[in-house]
Amino acid sequence: MRTPAVPVRLGGVTKRFGAVLAVDDVTLEIPAGLLVTLLGPSGCGKTTTLRMVAGLEHPTNGRVFIGDEDVTPLPASNRSVTMVFQSYALFPHLTVFENVAYGLRIAKVPERALREQVGAVLELVGLPQVGERYPAQLSGGQQQRVALARALVMKPKVLLFDEPLSNLDAKLRKRVRAEIRDLQQRLGITTIYVTHDQAEALALSDVIVVMNLGRVEQVGSPFDLYRKPATRFVADFIGEANLLPGRYAEGMVTVGPYTFAFRQDGVHAGPVTVVARPETVQVATAGQGLPGTVRSAFFMGTTIDYLIETPIGEVSASAPPRVTGMLPVGSDVRLQFAEAGLYLLTEDGR
Amino acid sequence: MRGGRGRYGSGLPVLRRGSMARVLTAPAVRPGLNSTLLAWGALTFLGAVSLPWARPGRELFTFSPEATGAALARTSPLMGAILLTALLVAAAGLVPWATASRGRAAIVLGALGTVLVAVRLFGTGQPFSWGVAAAALGFLAVLGTGLALAGVLRTDAFIAGSILWVAVFVAIFILYPLWTVLEASVVVRGRFTFDVVRETLRSPAFFLLNNPATPRNETAVALAAGGIVTAVGLLLQAVQRRPARGWLWALPAGVGGFVLTALYLGFGALRNSVLLAIVVGVIATALGFLFALLGERSRLRTRRLLGPLSILPIITPPFVLGLAMIYMFGRRGFVTYQLLGISTNAFFGPLGVAVAQILAYAPIAYLVLQGVVQSMDAALEEAAETLGASRWHVLRTVIWPLARPGVANAFLLVAIESLADFGNPIIVGGGKPFLATEVFFAIIGRFNPSEAAVYGVVLLAMTLSIFLVQRYWLGRRSYVTVTGKPSGAKARPLPPALDYAVSAFFLGWMVLIVALYGSVFVGSVTKLWGFDYTFTLEHLRSLSPTGWKVFWTSTKLSAYAAIPSTLLGFLIGYLVTRMEFPGRSALEFSSMLSFAVPGTVMGIGYILAFNQGALLLTGTSAILIMAFVFRNMPVAIRAGVAAIHQIDRSLEEASTMLRANSLTTLRRIVMPLVRSALLSGLVFAFVRAITAVSQVIFLISPQHSLATTQILTYIEYGSQGRGAALASLLTVFMIVVIAALYAVNRRLGAETRREMAL
Repeated sequence: MRTPAVPVRLGGVTKRFGAVLAVDDVTLEIPAGLLVTLLGPSGCGKTTTLRMVAGLEHPTNGRVFIGDEDVTPLPASNRSVTMVFQSYALFPHLTVFENVAYGLRIAKVPERALREQVGAVLELVGLPQVGERYPAQLSGGQQQRVALARALVMKPKVLLFDEPLSNLDAKLRKRVRAEIRDLQQRLGITTIYVTHDQAEALALSDVIVVMNLGRVEQVGSPFDLYRKPATRFVADFIGEANLLPGRYAEGMVTVGPYTFAFRQDGVHAGPVTVVARPETVQVATAGQGLPGTVRSAFFMGTTIDYLIETPIGEVSASAPPRVTGMLPVGSDVRLQFAEAGLYLLTEDGR
Repeated sequence: MRGGRGRYGSGLPVLRRGSMARVLTAPAVRPGLNSTLLAWGALTFLGAVSLPWARPGRELFTFSPEATGAALARTSPLMGAILLTALLVAAAGLVPWATASRGRAAIVLGALGTVLVAVRLFGTGQPFSWGVAAAALGFLAVLGTGLALAGVLRTDAFIAGSILWVAVFVAIFILYPLWTVLEASVVVRGRFTFDVVRETLRSPAFFLLNNPATPRNETAVALAAGGIVTAVGLLLQAVQRRPARGWLWALPAGVGGFVLTALYLGFGALRNSVLLAIVVGVIATALGFLFALLGERSRLRTRRLLGPLSILPIITPPFVLGLAMIYMFGRRGFVTYQLLGISTNAFFGPLGVAVAQILAYAPIAYLVLQGVVQSMDAALEEAAETLGASRWHVLRTVIWPLARPGVANAFLLVAIESLADFGNPIIVGGGKPFLATEVFFAIIGRFNPSEAAVYGVVLLAMTLSIFLVQRYWLGRRSYVTVTGKPSGAKARPLPPALDYAVSAFFLGWMVLIVALYGSVFVGSVTKLWGFDYTFTLEHLRSLSPTGWKVFWTSTKLSAYAAIPSTLLGFLIGYLVTRMEFPGRSALEFSSMLSFAVPGTVMGIGYILAFNQGALLLTGTSAILIMAFVFRNMPVAIRAGVAAIHQIDRSLEEASTMLRANSLTTLRRIVMPLVRSALLSGLVFAFVRAITAVSQVIFLISPQHSLATTQILTYIEYGSQGRGAALASLLTVFMIVVIAALYAVNRRLGAETRREMAL
């Protein structure tokens, strides 16, 4: 089933719908054989970008390349790209077998080879027994896998996913996402995956492209995006983050009345935004740190989530439960920041 | 992390401008041949060369060897050029060009060929024949293929060609006839003049306000009435101290008062038609609303009868009720003379027409309002009641405001139907002028097409403005969507007293309807209604041969028309809902236009447009078929749009991504999913064609006479028995057809009925 993987490139792609600028001058390279996620809030242009790779929308400006071929003028039917739709888009009047065979029949694959290929791909997605059933007779997870099989059987150069898990319940979602990841790794198909769920993106992707307002905010590995967000938007969108106003000068960071040692290359002296993940905020009852008062405390099982009021605004902290239990609301506390979890954004970080 | 930050962590994925530019210049050459162009070129050539380009008479199916393209090319260089262009198209399909250049060549050749064919057709002015059709459609398909290949239209050859074909058909069979009507009203014997317009509009048959025969001055009275209404409006505002905006309503109300009074006091076709439309609209809508409440909120069994009731106006020719009115309430009517012993002409004239129309159109209002009442969220009413509102208060403050756009919609639809109705005014109009019948008499009686055109334009202006109001103004104001799903809350039943009262009224209504239709059935086996009620089969027997012949012609032509009108309607529905192309809304509007055009107006349009020259069609059965096709197409479009909206768009996208072209997607995905709607569309197109009168009354010829017009002729010439016999036959046949459709298509619900009826 393996086809040589090819990269996908977008060169200055812009898409307007009337007066609305859906995608604004996006230039991107999707490396061959990797799973790349387009992540962003609804309306950020990620689905439009995906549909332009599919050929279901055509860019107002810019070019789309699959491998070395400029596919910009090609309709969706000539692109060697297949897609798993959010609604699965299984043809309700055809059996599972015929759904999967649909593209092969159009490609005029001989009956015997067709049966083999459909059988093999249904096996691959773990549904060898359902060929004669109709989509409506399958569960949501099974429909999902049939949609995947229908896309895979065409041996596409590029496989696209448009929020494929949003119609599944939470538990199933985790399992199917692991399966998709596993299958993609085994087949090595260049894959573009659209989602608005950052947890899903972090778990699945080789590379995440964060989009906002039609533009690319940041491209990077899940680890990089979490640790070194390039903009306030990325910091806020990926995981939870405290964005604190501060100053940086010569290896020292000042937030409110608290100054501590922290060094980050490439940051000049001046105002900065301190990105502090809640799990890196340490809550102590005394000693050095940013002074504050506990406003609320929720016991979450593995952590206790505090909301602490400080002179520079509210700070959330996830602390491991202590033997002594929770700090009561109203306690005076001191906050410190674990060096490993801190990141400074300079003013141009929007 | 799996991706490895070394490779992708540091801005590498973002392509640099330089490398992009290098890739951009890579040429996308895809040589080979294009079978679509090759096939169209060859087909166009073969059609043009072997089929005749002109015909000697009206008859369409004649083959004149001296008029084939091959024969004409010897003497006509133009024909040679046309054939050469077709060959060049085939060649363009063979040459290994890049897609875009091939597309541009196809655009040039397709456009050139189309223009040459048009020049040839209208240059000679001879009645067209099949060669023209083959060449024109062929070159349009080539043009469409070119537009798709060159990327001008972002779609494939099939869709692009379809758009062009549909556009040309709509232009020829909808826009051009309407244009000729407009033209005929101001161009008389080749001269541009407003004389006919002036004469017609001033004639007492059109409208007369100041009748010299009456002592009073009607204009003054009407002005006074308008003034009084304005004054009362202002006074009410002053007393009630409503918000300032309310003042604005006093003036329009005054104008309305003036117009209504003037109409009421005046005479003529305009007055009769407009008053009739208003009265019928108001009463039919009120009844429709009542029935809709009954159907959706009643706890009694009687509501089951509403389904069959709502089907009646579609399956019977509109004037059958008019005939029944004569039987029951005429001078020797069964009720008026036999039972009550009075001989009255009261029901001949506007009153009779109004009653017949109300009976016929209340079901239409019911179908519209049923959707409105159905989709009204019962939770809103429950919310109002929990806030302490009484049932009456809920009706006034929640139900009525929500239903108002739907009610207005129903009123306007009924008003259009009433204005356009031809059969009832001519049967029970008692010789009073109405706009739709004046169109007819101006042509048939006074042989004055220009006068007919003026009446047609007036009628058209009214129905069209109602249509526009309904479509664009009301369209935006609807709070409840017709197909909207109600929330879980269960509909509140009617209060028992009201339920019983409305049910009783509805039963009375049903009795009246059954009696009226029954009288037609009985009339067909009665010797001489009103004088001699002896049973006889004489009328049925005397249908042979004429009656049977027209019955068969009607059936045949309606069946022929049903297929293209449904397919075309669904195709247009698909194009306008799913495709983006320049001129899309223009296409949608003009193809829906014939919905707002009264049948008689379309009829004179067809006569004026297709009576001579290159497009000669009158006197053939083809013109009847075309009239049916384009008359009923809007119904199929609406049904198609509704059915296609039910399909998740991503199904078609999935098909496209699996390499299907749009023809395959239509055939394998869309068609199977809309199959039952398509079947109902087909049957209803057939039924509507077979029961149509007004649009074909001018178009029939001795060889191609139709059942409905034959019934009218029978009634007008005094053989009411035979008219009743043929009408009964037609009605029974339609009931059988619809029943068969129900049997096959169980899913045919109120939804479909509504799409079909409106």
